[in-house]
Amino acid sequence: MEVGLLMLAGGVAAGAFGSILGLGGGILIVPLLTLVFGLPLREAVAVSLVCVIVTSSASAGVYLERRQANLRLGMVLELFTAAGAIVGGAVAFLIDERLLAGLFALLLVYVAATMAGGLRRPTSPEPITDDETPPPSPAPEPVALRQADMDYRVDRLPLAAAGSIGAGIASALLGIGGGLIKVPLMHLVLGVPLRIATATSNLMIGITASASAIVYLMRGGIDAYVAGPTAVGVFVGASLGSRLGHRIGQRALRLLFVVVLLYTAFEMARRATGLG
Amino acid sequence: MAGLGRNEGDADLEPTLARVLQVGTYVSIGLVLVGTVLLLAGGISPLAASPPLQVDRLVPDVLAARPAGFLWLGILGICATPALRVVSAAIGFWRRGEQRMVAVALLILVVVAAGVITGLLTG
Repeated sequence: MEVGLLMLAGGVAAGAFGSILGLGGGILIVPLLTLVFGLPLREAVAVSLVCVIVTSSASAGVYLERRQANLRLGMVLELFTAAGAIVGGAVAFLIDERLLAGLFALLLVYVAATMAGGLRRPTSPEPITDDETPPPSPAPEPVALRQADMDYRVDRLPLAAAGSIGAGIASALLGIGGGLIKVPLMHLVLGVPLRIATATSNLMIGITASASAIVYLMRGGIDAYVAGPTAVGVFVGASLGSRLGHRIGQRALRLLFVVVLLYTAFEMARRATGLG
Repeated sequence: MAGLGRNEGDADLEPTLARVLQVGTYVSIGLVLVGTVLLLAGGISPLAASPPLQVDRLVPDVLAARPAGFLWLGILGICATPALRVVSAAIGFWRRGEQRMVAVALLILVVVAAGVITGLLTG
């Protein structure tokens, strides 16, 4: 019972902090399950994907209601992220867990560096994140409406499609939403406004993560006893985080998390090198 | 491909898709919550390997109030919810005669189905 409650509490913490800091749950869930509970990395990735679907489906619903997500663009690109996710899901069972740990360590360093860079700027209006939780404030409807009837730089769609395949592979291998790739891709390559890119990325995360989660599920890679408490915890935590986020001082919390992420990256790197 | 900007014609479709996602998520997480409560109340450690997914065991396990039944049913619901959103979008676009978006939606479902087949073949 104690382990179950700890897993539940860990899920709540991962969901809440992920939501407050604008990080996807996977960044925190995978290290939690591997480094704290000693689960194999591949099993942690599979459970993380289930949690990512839960939070992204809930928040994508909100984004759709607020008319912030671009349904058409999201559906076209998720065709490619889903294809990448299936490839990633199949590849995940072929490669050494130490390589996966090394890739995850690199991801953590990248996120920590991005977060540290944001700390140096006096105001960071719209950070590029792996966020799965919509902001609690009322919908900034005018932003969505201004984009009505606007076509993005669709001449670059092949490049965006190729990047989406990469995002899907990363999602399946590392148990993350992939917003870290998809949001910059839509914003910088297709010229989609950042707020709409974030909302659209959220919409795409569900089908991307479910495509790879299904591969893990069919291969017996998901443990229901671990997925249950973790998913419930993450769902509760993300809901709390989206309500409390604006009341909490972000700067100190972000600074703390840069340290936590770097320490976690170090531990993952130790695993990758066989020292952990 | 033109027409990927936001389309105000989607205003009637998006609330439906939002509802599908929200209902699917809440029902699924509700099932997982029941399974988790049964798991913890039964003193079962989450670190003990769970029974594998067996579709024919789902209903008997739920009726017998075994945690695995609720957990697996909830996890299946979680995985299926985004696909249900795509199915709903396909129906919505089909009603409006937008064949290209219907084709996109169907292709997404084909890719998801390919995931099931990939998992079965490589598992």
